[in-house]
Amino acid sequence: MFKSFLKVYLVSILVMFPSFLLTCELASNPSRITVAGGSITEILYFLNEEDKIIAIDVTSNYPKDVKKYPSIGYVRNLSAEGILSLNPTLIIGEDDMGPQNVINQINRTGVEINILTEKHSSEGIIEKIQCIGEIIGRKDKANHLIKHKILPKKIELDELSQLLKDLDIKVMFILNMDSGSPIVGGRETSADGFIEMMGVKNAFNSFEGWKPVGIESIIKASPDYILISNRGAHSFGNIEMLNNHHAIKHTPAAKNNNIIALDGMEMLGFGPRTINTALKLSNKFLNNHNE
Amino acid sequence: MSIKSENINLSYNNEEILKNLSLEIKQGEIVTLLGPNGAGKSSLLNIISGDTDANSGLVYYNNKDINKLTIQERAFIRSVMAQSQPIVFDFNVREIVEMGWLDRGNIKHANQFDRAIKMILNDCDIASLEFRKFNTLSGGEQRRVHFARTLLQLWRESKSDEPRYLMLDEPTANLDLSHQVKMMKLIKKLSNEGVGILLILHDLNLAFKYSDKIAILKNGNMVSYGKPKDIVLSNILDDVYELPLNVQLSENRIIINYV
Amino acid sequence: MSNNISFIFNSKYLSKSQSALLIIIFIILIGSLLFAFSFGSYNFSILSLIDGSNSLIENTVFYEIRVPRVILAGLVGASLAVSGSCLQGLFRNPLADPGLIGVSAGAALGASLIIVFGSSIASKFILSTFLLPLFACLGSAVVIMLLFLLTKGFGHQGVTYMLLVGIAINAIASVGIGILTFISSDSELRSLTFWTMGSFGGVTWPLLIPAIIIILFSFIFLIPVLRNLDILQLGESEAKRLGVNVQKLKYRIIITSATSVGASVALSGMIGFIGLVVPHLVRLLGGVNHTYVVIGSALMGSSLMIFADLLSRILIQPAELPVGLITSAIGSPFFLWLIFRINKI
Repeated sequence: MFKSFLKVYLVSILVMFPSFLLTCELASNPSRITVAGGSITEILYFLNEEDKIIAIDVTSNYPKDVKKYPSIGYVRNLSAEGILSLNPTLIIGEDDMGPQNVINQINRTGVEINILTEKHSSEGIIEKIQCIGEIIGRKDKANHLIKHKILPKKIELDELSQLLKDLDIKVMFILNMDSGSPIVGGRETSADGFIEMMGVKNAFNSFEGWKPVGIESIIKASPDYILISNRGAHSFGNIEMLNNHHAIKHTPAAKNNNIIALDGMEMLGFGPRTINTALKLSNKFLNNHNE
Repeated sequence: MSIKSENINLSYNNEEILKNLSLEIKQGEIVTLLGPNGAGKSSLLNIISGDTDANSGLVYYNNKDINKLTIQERAFIRSVMAQSQPIVFDFNVREIVEMGWLDRGNIKHANQFDRAIKMILNDCDIASLEFRKFNTLSGGEQRRVHFARTLLQLWRESKSDEPRYLMLDEPTANLDLSHQVKMMKLIKKLSNEGVGILLILHDLNLAFKYSDKIAILKNGNMVSYGKPKDIVLSNILDDVYELPLNVQLSENRIIINYV
Repeated sequence: MSNNISFIFNSKYLSKSQSALLIIIFIILIGSLLFAFSFGSYNFSILSLIDGSNSLIENTVFYEIRVPRVILAGLVGASLAVSGSCLQGLFRNPLADPGLIGVSAGAALGASLIIVFGSSIASKFILSTFLLPLFACLGSAVVIMLLFLLTKGFGHQGVTYMLLVGIAINAIASVGIGILTFISSDSELRSLTFWTMGSFGGVTWPLLIPAIIIILFSFIFLIPVLRNLDILQLGESEAKRLGVNVQKLKYRIIITSATSVGASVALSGMIGFIGLVVPHLVRLLGGVNHTYVVIGSALMGSSLMIFADLLSRILIQPAELPVGLITSAIGSPFFLWLIFRINKI
């Protein structure tokens, strides 16, 4: 009796390891997709394949239409039963999906899970769109749309960024002000990638990751522009208040009224919107400089 | 059978608290420790009860070295009433008294439980308080409850002649006069039943009235030991308490007054 | 220590009304179990399971996802409540809770270590499911050993000393977790945050079975000494005079609390308030003797946690609320009410 119990136990342990978590292979059934990542939702809409979506996560905020879908909540704290209750055939997400146990549980019920690796660059965005295209079996459509809608913008962005590279413009990206000191994106963050896309410099490249920075570092870094997410700005107050924040008011950005608040996902989501936003901002930087 | 302490020495922080003390409590005998504050009375009781270890000297329970007895064996032999701690949870009086009941592993003893408790609650005059919450009682009432628990620990079938001992550190503190006398009478009754009793009292009159033997401690030394009458006749009390005392000794009564 | 086992089965330490209360709470527990098994974001009828008319995926959802989760919730609820009641008795302090001795902090530190450093050590998919609970258990084991060493050397210092050691351990673990939080990447930080908020999601049978064994054994290990916990309320010296081996009692309580809390935190993160509040609720209902309180806490803690988990699964479905938020949300106003009520007496 104990032997058979042991057998079952060992088999279940093996089964705990997921069969396979794919990246860009064609899914066996992409008809009902649960999306875990706002950029993925954007891309599905971009490919006109949004009818395949059955559920989204909390970072999917574009286009406004997505409000009609049920939300699976925060991508790091998923509910196995909740996701399964919507009967998805495919889940596409990025590598921050979790907790791991829940992902394994879902995978074991036969639902395919594709995990995209994200690269924080315009090439990365294009690769992401291609990858999703392949997963849902619309590879050609994806390439077509990329060629006509994305590539021209990328080329324009590249040109602008070449010009901006020589201008030594420093940009600071604030996630939020919640803990008193601004939380700023250093190297290896999505913010860093976004800044690099535009050819400007990250004012804080001495550390990795998102870290709180003090007033002296900010004054030393002397950013010309400050980017902040809308949510970060609103939870603090408004741009006016940011301009007067004791740690920020001495920066060139504050003095020249160059604190810009935009939707977090349209900057850092690394979907099609990110290229548009990068383009918009690069143009603004260049124009400001030329005045 | 008796409880014996031999050549007890106790020091704390290089201060000598007890110097070479020996004391015996025989079955059926009431021994009272007297002396000024700081004389070492409570310390001696704590050593005899097994709470603390002496630096040197031995304690015997019924001729067995106390260190060779388990905590449970000691609990079967003697019960102690000393400083009580505040009780954090809302036990009622009966629950507190019940905590004195030891499982002696025999079913007959277990069956006596209800009878024993009833008797003791009555003897200690707390029957009317049985279901009151302990924490709502006055200091004196709480004392009587602890006393009842101590008695329950000692309780045996009346036919038993196992040697039992009771140690009480100022049991009458906080009690009104009538309850003080009731308690002393109960203690006397127990000693008549064969229980050996070690008492610490401050009231000299109570001590001299009820004790069979009195030991007087001062500065860690035993300065006098003997029957109450003999101690009175030796005129030592004035020196011990450093007060002029008036002692009246008549037939069966000793009355001590502060002049 | 065989003191009084006979009495437990004599129900001398459980009055008639307490026994009745325990039976009622037990029925509530069974009810909440059935309720929790029947409801979830995945809608299907329980009856279909019984007559076999359910689909494979419904089977999987029920037996592999919902059932282990509900059972874990019940176990953790019982384990935290029992620890809380025993520690309140041991420290003679109504505000004691399982976190006090530092075990949950140790487990949290172990878990944080693996969350922040683990991704660079082990491949993401292999072993990671075992790694976190394993490190959390190691963390709490280290704390237990520290407590053991530090209090054995000072064996007769009394429980105040142990309390202080626990507070120190909590502080050290907090610093450790704080440092890890600071050096963690954004994604690790979020994982850490969610882990500390507590969740029963993702538990599977291979993880659950050791937990069941550990927690049940801890509970069985506690039953013989519940009466001695009552006697301990008179004070340590008095308990010794009554024949209770206070040292052994301390160790038994600390070790069983620490192991079962460690196992709980390892699998479900930190969940507050149950350990603190449930024993008081049980005392309010039926009395303060530990046989009743500890058993009642196990049953009630279990029911409450199962219910809290049900809420966490249903309130914002198909998403999920961290269960620690729910226990805090219900627990804190209740705790305030308790304080007022106790003051009034």
